Amino acid sequence: MSSESLILFFIVGAVFVGAVLIFSSLVPPKSKNPQKSEAYECGIPTTGITWLQFNIGYYLFAILFLVFDVETVFVFPWAVVMKELGMIAFVEIIIFFVILGLGLLYAWKKHALIWE
Amino acid sequence: MTETDFLCLTPFLILALAPIVIMLVISIFRNYEIVFGFSLLSLILAFAALFFIAPAIPHSIQPLFIIDMYSLFFLGIIFISAFIVALLSYNYIKRLEGVREEYYIILFTSTLGAALLAVANHFVLFFLGIETLSISLYILIAFQRTKDNSIEAGIKYLILASVSTAFLLFGMGLIYTAFGSMMFSEIATAISLQGPLTSLAITGFGMMLVGIGFKLALVPFHAWTPDVYQGAPAPVSAYIATVSKGAVMAVLIRFFFNIKGFDDHYLFIIISAIAILSMFIGNILAIRQQNIKRLLAYSSIANMGYLIIILLTGTNKGIQASLFYLISYFITTISAFGVITLLSNAKNEAEMISDYKGLFWKRPFVAIVFTLALLSLAGIPITAGFIGKFYVIFEGMKAGLMLLVFAMIISSVIGLYYYLRVITTMFSPAGETTLPQITFMGKFTLAAITISILILGIYPGWLIDIITRFVGL
Amino acid sequence: MEKSTFIALLPAIPLFSFLVLALFGNKLSRKATGFIGAGSIGIVALLTLIIATEFFHSLPQIKTYTVVVWEWINAGNLKVNISFSLDSLSLVFCFVITFVGFLIHLYSIAFMAKDEGIKRFFAYMNLFVASMLILVLADNILLLYLGWEGVGLCSYLLIGFWYKEPANGYAARKAFIITRIGDTAMIIGIFILFITFGTVNIHELMQLASAKWASGSSIAVITAALLLCGALGKSAQLPLQTWLPDAMAGPSPVSALIHAATMVTAGVYLIARTNMLFSLAPVVQFAIAIIGALTLLIAGFSALAQHDLKRILAYSTISQIGYMFLALGVGAWSAAIFHFMIHAFFKALLFLGAGVVILVLDEEHDIFKMGGLRKKMPVVFWTFLIGSASLSALPLITAGFYSKDQILWFAYSSESGSLWLWIAGIVGAFLTALYSFRMIFIVFFGESKTLPSFNAGKLMTVPLVILAVLSLIGGFVELPESFGNFHPFSKLIENVLPVVLIKDIGNLEILFQLLSAVIALTGVYLAYIIYFKKPSLSASFNHSHLNRFFEKGWGFDKLYDTLIVVPVVWLSEIDKNDFFDWMNIGLSKLALLLNSLFSITQNGKLRWYLMSFVIGIAFILTFMLYK
Repeated sequence: MSSESLILFFIVGAVFVGAVLIFSSLVPPKSKNPQKSEAYECGIPTTGITWLQFNIGYYLFAILFLVFDVETVFVFPWAVVMKELGMIAFVEIIIFFVILGLGLLYAWKKHALIWE
Repeated sequence: MTETDFLCLTPFLILALAPIVIMLVISIFRNYEIVFGFSLLSLILAFAALFFIAPAIPHSIQPLFIIDMYSLFFLGIIFISAFIVALLSYNYIKRLEGVREEYYIILFTSTLGAALLAVANHFVLFFLGIETLSISLYILIAFQRTKDNSIEAGIKYLILASVSTAFLLFGMGLIYTAFGSMMFSEIATAISLQGPLTSLAITGFGMMLVGIGFKLALVPFHAWTPDVYQGAPAPVSAYIATVSKGAVMAVLIRFFFNIKGFDDHYLFIIISAIAILSMFIGNILAIRQQNIKRLLAYSSIANMGYLIIILLTGTNKGIQASLFYLISYFITTISAFGVITLLSNAKNEAEMISDYKGLFWKRPFVAIVFTLALLSLAGIPITAGFIGKFYVIFEGMKAGLMLLVFAMIISSVIGLYYYLRVITTMFSPAGETTLPQITFMGKFTLAAITISILILGIYPGWLIDIITRFVGL
Repeated sequence: MEKSTFIALLPAIPLFSFLVLALFGNKLSRKATGFIGAGSIGIVALLTLIIATEFFHSLPQIKTYTVVVWEWINAGNLKVNISFSLDSLSLVFCFVITFVGFLIHLYSIAFMAKDEGIKRFFAYMNLFVASMLILVLADNILLLYLGWEGVGLCSYLLIGFWYKEPANGYAARKAFIITRIGDTAMIIGIFILFITFGTVNIHELMQLASAKWASGSSIAVITAALLLCGALGKSAQLPLQTWLPDAMAGPSPVSALIHAATMVTAGVYLIARTNMLFSLAPVVQFAIAIIGALTLLIAGFSALAQHDLKRILAYSTISQIGYMFLALGVGAWSAAIFHFMIHAFFKALLFLGAGVVILVLDEEHDIFKMGGLRKKMPVVFWTFLIGSASLSALPLITAGFYSKDQILWFAYSSESGSLWLWIAGIVGAFLTALYSFRMIFIVFFGESKTLPSFNAGKLMTVPLVILAVLSLIGGFVELPESFGNFHPFSKLIENVLPVVLIKDIGNLEILFQLLSAVIALTGVYLAYIIYFKKPSLSASFNHSHLNRFFEKGWGFDKLYDTLIVVPVVWLSEIDKNDFFDWMNIGLSKLALLLNSLFSITQNGKLRWYLMSFVIGIAFILTFMLYK
């Protein structure tokens, strides 16, 4: 590698980026109004703070839903080719079920299924 | 799947089964002691299993796994470290509010991830291992979820680790494109056949460096370390510093030596630069640090900098030196974090240096343990750290890496300053802080670790013998 | 052969008991402390006996036992083993260290019984014995140096044992710093040896040195001179002798064990151990003889003028080691070692006796405030008398006679000996008799001035009696040709050290013996006259300037103060901020500056962290792709 070209590359890069930034701040027409600094430029002023707290239950249910979701994703393809794969695949899917079931049991025991 | 395959996978199966059983136990009968005891038992079983598979190796389960003496060695130290971390966690976790037993579930999944890295011979397993490890670590770091620090550390680690993993994955993809394989050995053959690396491959390796550099906390991918070490529970910090880094180091050494990365001039320079920067920036950042956990984080950055020198030696002897260094670093770090763990109480972590003022006069035993750990980190003779550094410097010099060795020596001197600062604090007149009682088990564990630091410092021969027998790629 | 592995246990046992005392000391009762402290040395003494019988059994065939405990460093050409080897030279030293050490430890149990620092005391003493044994058993020069520094450390700790008195701390520092001067020279010597020959094993070093270095070559002379400096510092010989009298600030058993019997003779051991090197440098060896002769005279005169009982003994020790150096210098190796052994017996005895006297008189050190103790404490008197007689080399019955007489004879008759050395020796012998019996007459005779506050117990007197017996019969292991012609000791030593070469001057030995016997008796008689019969004779001298000069140790302290200490202090005063300080301060400033610079990046903001990722990968990729 020739170090001159590397240095040149960095200089050109820095100058180019700088030039574009300066150019873009000089050229466009400027207007200042409160709406422009809003988070959502939809014309209506926003109210309240953005750090709203949602009920944690939503997340829990979403995750629990995932248990069955993932199960479905795996079980359908397995079911299609179950006969060809034979016994080993059957045992494997049973193990998979058991683990998922355990997860559900765990959630249940932790009272995650009760909406508070 | 043959019987040998199954035999070789026993440790992993044990590690995978243990969390499931723990979950079952928790669902039916939640009891901290039972879970704790079972965890220790499982780790012992996993370790014992290594002896059973020893006759069957080297064995590879195509295409993902390779189980040879090298991986056996790493599995051994990963399991032992996890065991000690679990031991030290007992009281620390027990006094937490809310769920506690789940800690051990996550400890197992993360250990499983680490163990997979030690046997990876393929990008897929490499990636799986790293992800299993990372995802578990997110949870472990944020385990004290009532603490702002802990949550913050967890989120930071989550975001940064995701970014780094993205780089890693992209790098792997590019390398696959360039060589048409994801197996380490096949990539190596492809490289030797193709000659000079193409831009595609180079970009791939560069991207992978981000992912690995992040995990090992090498400059410039190091910035997360202090925040995470500070926010995470002390035993988890110990775990990140040892098991997580050790496992990544295992796969890195295997991969790097397979592809003979040290032969590539540019890779060589990049890694040298990263090593030197890590040593200096790590040590310099620690100089004025008042928080011991952050201080140890900076120290770990510097230590990893020392360690990757070994990558560039390209010799079997170099690997042996790095293993010795790694082990001495493991026990020393665990000992230091162990002291922090045992001195922390329910309300606050003993993490400020001022908390240790006059420790020697109040808790002479703990103070001596901590002093020895710090001296070992600083590389003072008759500790394990000295012999470790000595071997790394020696192998580095043999390989002609004068600049790196020189940088290592200079930055070690800087390092000495802040280790000694902590030690002098401990021996100064006693302060006001009250300290929790330390259990017998904690004392026993610390004593055992400290004795091993001394034994390795005075009589390193036997470990070197073991390493020499185990290692050779 | 198996018993030879015991030699690793010799230093290990006291080291272990040191650890026990240091770690669990505050949980042990005073009794248990004494039991462990003295008991461990007792076990080691027994072990030494077992090893010695084994050693004698296999002697003509096997002259050295070597045990490699483990390999400590094995890197390139630096191979350092923790290994010990025992030959007849080390055996003699081990014997003295463990047996005399054991007696002194026993004595210490009673001596330190009321001291609150008894645990600290025994811990240090055990560490000392361990270090001393490492020193004499080391088979490589680095291990020897470890023991060498270890005994120096213990000496420092024990001199300053009663640290609440600032003067004691000062004495401890003085001892440490002055011996350090010698040690620095010595470690340079060791480096020269290692760099030249690439090994640290003492035996190999000596073989290589005599094979590769020409006799009298400058490198041999320099190395020998450097090692000699170490020996001079440790053994308190001219010009590094000034620390030993001050070292008497420590407890009396310490003075007996460290500053009389064992540690101060480490220099003798070092020279004897590296004798081949000194044979290659005849100049240095001759210098040893000269230094020995000068030291024994200077210290002898000083001893004569002291008031403090222990300082008399301290100067006497310097003087007696001067004899050993004289013997080493003229190549009478076994005579030096013989005198070392006998000196250990009687000097330990004298120090322990002095310890009892000082203890029962409530810390009274001044001999002129003692007196008439003969009747009050007969056991101490008789043993002290025997010790002094042995020190003065009273003919035939005392061991000191045989050992000192041998040195005097070789000072004249050996190849490098001369009449002048003999004269120095004989004058020294006269002085020795004079000052020894000055002590006896002033302390034990005359009217009593201070009354003893209690009687010394059995634990104190029994070691005194045993040592007294040894001071009498110890000499019979080596009888001169003119009298018995019985040489088992020198036969033993000559397994390791060369035989002394004698000039052909005919059989004059009996004449010399008669002369020295007469001189010694004259000294005793003169002491009787001027210190007992007519004290007025000595009293006038007591106030003379010459006496003051002798008492202050020939003004060496003053000389060093004005020549070295004052200028150095002055220099460091005016030179607080020189270039090197700037450099050091600058470096730490630089580190702090970089620290604050880098700390900016650790601001906890995720976007900064991510930015450093991006910058990193940008650099890596640009660099790697731009080839």
